[in-house]
Amino acid sequence: MTAISVQQGNNCVVGRFRAMASPCEVLLEGQHFALCQQLTQLAAAEVERIEQKYSRYRSNSVLSLLNHNTGQWQAVDTETAALLQFANTCYTLSDGLFDISSGILRRAWRFDGSDHIASQQQLDALLPFIGWHKVTLEADQLFLPTGMELDLGGIAKEYAVDKVLQLLSQQFPVADLPGFVVNFGGDMACNRPRDDGSLWHIGIENPTLADQAISAVGLSQGALATSGDSRRFLLKNGVRYSHILNPKTGWPVTDAPRSVTVAAPNCLLAGMLATTALLQGADAGAFLQAQGLTYWLT
Amino acid sequence: MQLKQLANISAALAAASCAVLGQQAQAGTLLDDWQFNSAILLYNETDRVSAAEAVFTARGDFGDDKYLNLGLVVDALTGASATGAVAQPYVQSFTRPSGRGSYEVAPGDTPLDDTFHDTRVQLDASWEQPLAPNWRISGGGHLSKEYDYLSLGLNGSIARDFNQKNTTLSLGLAYSHDSIEPEGGIAAPFAPMLLRSSFADDESYQAAFAATRDRADDTKDTLDMLLGLTQVINRDWLMQFNYSLSVADGYMTDPFKLVSVVNSNGEVQQNLYESRPDKRTKHSLYWQNKLHLSGSYLDASYRYMWDDWELSSHTADVKWRLPLGQSWYVEPQLRYYQQSAAEFYLPFLQQDEPVPQYASADYRIGKMSAYTLGAKFGTKLAAGNELSFRIAMYQQTPENDGVTAPGILADVELYEKVTAVMAQVSYSF
Repeated sequence: MTAISVQQGNNCVVGRFRAMASPCEVLLEGQHFALCQQLTQLAAAEVERIEQKYSRYRSNSVLSLLNHNTGQWQAVDTETAALLQFANTCYTLSDGLFDISSGILRRAWRFDGSDHIASQQQLDALLPFIGWHKVTLEADQLFLPTGMELDLGGIAKEYAVDKVLQLLSQQFPVADLPGFVVNFGGDMACNRPRDDGSLWHIGIENPTLADQAISAVGLSQGALATSGDSRRFLLKNGVRYSHILNPKTGWPVTDAPRSVTVAAPNCLLAGMLATTALLQGADAGAFLQAQGLTYWLT
Repeated sequence: MQLKQLANISAALAAASCAVLGQQAQAGTLLDDWQFNSAILLYNETDRVSAAEAVFTARGDFGDDKYLNLGLVVDALTGASATGAVAQPYVQSFTRPSGRGSYEVAPGDTPLDDTFHDTRVQLDASWEQPLAPNWRISGGGHLSKEYDYLSLGLNGSIARDFNQKNTTLSLGLAYSHDSIEPEGGIAAPFAPMLLRSSFADDESYQAAFAATRDRADDTKDTLDMLLGLTQVINRDWLMQFNYSLSVADGYMTDPFKLVSVVNSNGEVQQNLYESRPDKRTKHSLYWQNKLHLSGSYLDASYRYMWDDWELSSHTADVKWRLPLGQSWYVEPQLRYYQQSAAEFYLPFLQQDEPVPQYASADYRIGKMSAYTLGAKFGTKLAAGNELSFRIAMYQQTPENDGVTAPGILADVELYEKVTAVMAQVSYSF
């Protein structure tokens, strides 16, 4: 069981734990300490379930098994099929920029703040194994060509936020729902405005000042997700290479904002739009504007 | 190509994300820096005043606990209101407050001036923000304008949280300056209501009417102070105590109200314009409890008010919000009010007694009791918006404060009940 801690906050109680390589929080309106503890435990268990299922770092995860048994039809459960279907929609709508098969580019790029730029030769060796259109997804089975690999890292955390919010909300009758926020490393969702009608104010990491939070972002309903390169980048000859890679070229996207925060009805959507915006490079702002949702760029 | 890339894909993605989460697709905005509240209220007294009121408020969140509150109220009143004159077993004639025109009141009827109509527009604005850790301040102003009335005001407050925000002490101050310019001017205290029919011609009537007028307009200044204590008793119980002091200086007479002078047989000899003191100091104590009782919310409050007009009142108000199915609530309300008469309240003056320094026959400052019985039905809509309907009955029962009605007054209704119904629709978004 994940270790959790519960603390008194400003007119709220905060339950904390670590999962998915991020600090995770459940903020509960009021001073209901024991209730917050219960909700945080539920949240931690649900995140652990999702992480266990979709982490590529766990060799027995559903995702790792899919990546292991390439070149054959594999059965997928309903939840996984739904997530892959969502990834398929994202791929189509982003014109191939959001691609869950692009993870293998990691083998050429290590975003450790160093100046180790990938060579075109390395990338050319990887590109044939990238491209969601080469994957066949049916209602309950998947065919992943040999040499390809899927990575749900760009979806799983946002999905976990939404699932946890859903799970916690189901613990209460509709008329008696307390206000809470689920915040996993800056990807967050709340179930309603605060009791006094005010916004939830939650800091978002500012990539230019890694430890300083942007406090101007408030949330009354729905979700926020942030995509950016606060710590993951390469620097060579004064050029900053973001960790956002174009799956078609294998090269980092240039002239993209440092980070994009998007507000949307759910975290999955917010995260998807933030990532797709970054993939547009210099057009990120224009892309977000066209979406008609609230966003912040840095 | 560029155009295709920048197309709006959020709607299609939203549908896809909801499919993954097994949710209904959501509409509407997600990030609300502004909260809006709108309401329409209809108020109707049987045979008397009807009012319609529209309220629109907005609360802007500027981050860091800073808020801007804006309000707009527009109301329109029409109908008839009691003049203060007593009923008689025969037809009575009255001159309109403007001095132009007259109206007649049927035998046995409480005299009502049916020319009562007004439109009021009120604007409010206030800003609130933290001052230092555990300190909050706010400041604002209001402007309210009616045809013959203008009110301008400023207010400010400061609050301090203690005891991990479980206790809050607050101090508020408000000042308002009101000016009134009634049609026909302001009558001199106890000036007689003249009737055109008692004069030979218009000219002599107009000259006599003008002589009863003291001035065209007047003003009133009011200073209010509020001391409040809010205490969280436990996670399901919040308590609040307020003491407020209000000092008013200026014109507080109602320029449209009359007092009848009757003879020993109760027959009206003359109707005089009323006169009230020009100073009033009010105190009030308020105690409120908000309780969470297994899924329902109880709001019970009591107020005791007293002033140097010797008017004192008790108000008890109970609202209980109960869940009604999955997404609705019902909130019954019962409010009871009781007041003693102001020291200068008299339902009529006796001809053979000297005219006192002040007198008013306005039932609203006489002895009376009132109750409100109502219910509100509300629901939270999908996007967190709230819709509610409220319906209530309000009954005022003026009472005799030990005055013996002479002669014919014993047979007419001097303390007529006023019954009103209210209907309200509110929408918050």
